[in-house]
Amino acid sequence: MTQLTSQPAPSTVAPSTGLLTEMLSAGPDHGTPWLGEIRQSGIRHFQRMGLPTTSQEDWRLTNVAELAKIRFSPAASGKAAAIGADITRPWSLRSTGANEFVFINGLFSPEHSTFSASAAGVAPLAQAAANPLWRESVFAHLALPQTNGFTALNTAGFADGAFISVPADLIAEAPIHLLFISTEAPHATLAQPRVCIHVGARSQITVVHTYVSTGGQPHLTNAVVELAAESGAKVEIVKLQREAQTAWHIGQDFIKLASQATLQALSLNIGGAVVRNNVQVRLDGPYAEATLNGITLITGRQHVDNQTLLDHAFENCPSHELYKHLLGGQASGVFRGKILVRPGAQKTDSKQTSKTVLLSDDATMDSQPQLEIYADDVKCTHGSTTGPLDDEQLFYLRSRGVDAATARSLLTYAFAGDVLGRTWHGPLKGYLEELVVAELHRLHLDRTTS
Amino acid sequence: MPMLEIKDLHASVGGREILKGISLAVNAGEVHAIMGPNGSGKSTLASVLAGRETYAVTGGQVLLNGVDILDMSPEERACEGLFMAFQYPVEIPGVSTAYFLKAAVNAIRKHRGEEELDAMDFLKLIKTKMKLLEMDQSFLNRSVNEGFSGGEKKRNEIFQMAVLDPKLGILDETDSGLDIDALKIVSKGVNSLRGPDRAMLVVTHYQRLLEYIVPDFVHVLRDGKIIKSGDKKLALELEAKGYGWLDTAA
Ligand SMILES: Nc1ncnc2c1ncn2[C@@H]1O[C@H](COP(=O)(O)OP(=O)(O)O)[C@@H](O)[C@H]1O
Ligand SMILES: [Mg+2]
Repeated sequence: MTQLTSQPAPSTVAPSTGLLTEMLSAGPDHGTPWLGEIRQSGIRHFQRMGLPTTSQEDWRLTNVAELAKIRFSPAASGKAAAIGADITRPWSLRSTGANEFVFINGLFSPEHSTFSASAAGVAPLAQAAANPLWRESVFAHLALPQTNGFTALNTAGFADGAFISVPADLIAEAPIHLLFISTEAPHATLAQPRVCIHVGARSQITVVHTYVSTGGQPHLTNAVVELAAESGAKVEIVKLQREAQTAWHIGQDFIKLASQATLQALSLNIGGAVVRNNVQVRLDGPYAEATLNGITLITGRQHVDNQTLLDHAFENCPSHELYKHLLGGQASGVFRGKILVRPGAQKTDSKQTSKTVLLSDDATMDSQPQLEIYADDVKCTHGSTTGPLDDEQLFYLRSRGVDAATARSLLTYAFAGDVLGRTWHGPLKGYLEELVVAELHRLHLDRTTS
Repeated sequence: MPMLEIKDLHASVGGREILKGISLAVNAGEVHAIMGPNGSGKSTLASVLAGRETYAVTGGQVLLNGVDILDMSPEERACEGLFMAFQYPVEIPGVSTAYFLKAAVNAIRKHRGEEELDAMDFLKLIKTKMKLLEMDQSFLNRSVNEGFSGGEKKRNEIFQMAVLDPKLGILDETDSGLDIDALKIVSKGVNSLRGPDRAMLVVTHYQRLLEYIVPDFVHVLRDGKIIKSGDKKLALELEAKGYGWLDTAA
């Protein structure tokens, strides 16, 4: 599988691992020696590659060198029970009927979780290690430790996470919500969740993974998600990145779709100081279909870098991509959308759109498509727009009596809401719409004058 | 006191003067047509009256019921009872027509010191006006003007005018893009809104619309100035002789 690969740094330069080396003790092997081996290979790859640097093309606009200078401690372990029961409330998705699995500082917290017995098929990774399916179908199959320094680091050190295993022919009505909370600490903290999802043939599931923080200390979330959908499966996966403005967030989602599997992915980025998301989808059988959507709402000095890869490996696969960015303050956004059409992937039909509204003069956006096409009978289109809110639309609304502030908020919401409208799961869609209205308001993005 | 009084209005865009001293008085109950060739400044006049900031007003006054509106924002003017039907209504994806109109109706009602309409009363109001313009229900849930045909957009403008109930309606080329059936429906809508308390300024460069919306007065705009005024016969004369006739007459 072609990755959004970081080329190893030139050999003359020592890899930048910095204080993160101190974090390089392998996580638990849960009694399975092969896991210990994979963790060791994670350590070796991290020592060899270090953190990505801005001399690497795909990390040019996101500088993570600072991470090597922060002394991270592993997020507090084993203390989840001491944390108040209501800590999950601001982020809970129980109103949508979701089964909610809560992870506090990287560790599963049954006390804070709410799920029905029928939500079988979700297990904390500590238990998943015993399930051969975990290893055989997903884990370290899609996210290889050698992909980049962050996958290496996660493989070496992830403490916990979830394995979601949906058997064939099962339609799961209730979404599964994985809520990762980093709590306040007097020192910088690191959490490295690992999520593995296997969806059996013809099954349907909606999974939401949320990342939040309650403290104001610098912290790093280095998350890896691996998702394999068997043939004919329908999977909706929604990422809600709502971390504190002091957070570094690196999230990498590796997805593989077998023939006729359908994916609907949404990545909503609101929080974080420096955020990097890699989403890569391999269309790994004919008639697989992928939709990648994204919404970024940021302000202040936030930086969000979204990189996606649609890897068309088989014929007759459609893919659709729509990323929207609303940037205020001095925020900076990056979008790199790569469409790879491998030899033989004829009749690929891929459409990519990136749209940005700049709500202040100091916000910046860098949006670039990247097409690599090795088949001749394909249709690939891409388009990108960046600009302020539309003057004519504003004038139209105001000329009907709607005041300027309301007109702006209507237009900013409409811009983002358009993406949410595509969500499959009804109650989840309602939740997301309310969330976006509230966040636009909280971030003052509905009021910024342009 | 006239409902609308424009006194020696000058406006420019990018340093270029487009309106070069326009004076006009419109009384309540009257319909005035503004005719003129393409590029004469008709849409500029309509936009300046509605408060579009693209145009710089460099001189003159505009009084609505005796109050100068030139310092008012577009939304204040709307609340004061001014409505402009756009020549080219913009599409606003993601904003539903119903939601937007309810916000507009209630902003204006609030300004007038009236109680805001609840969902039920709003729907009732909307439905009567939709009937008037023979519009389909489904249109309420669609985004404002998105994917509308030229004719649907124009009809939507007049529908909004009917809902917002302004004192002064300014119609910019409402007939363009309408086939004859749609023109009849739209004109019927406009005519039903005529009344002793309302005035209208109908901008067009064809006489056709004025067969259906018969004006009390006709003014000819050319190069940013009103060069001739008369009654409805002036429109027919223009139709027969063309705008060139005025050059030789002048
Ligand atoms: N926003 C603008 N920027 C530059 N020129 C404009 C603008 N709006 C109108 N004009 C110019 O002003 C003149 C009058 O235009 P307009 O008012 O649209 O005329 P009409 O509606 O009578 O056809 C034209 O020469 C047009 O090019
Ligand atoms: Mg015009």
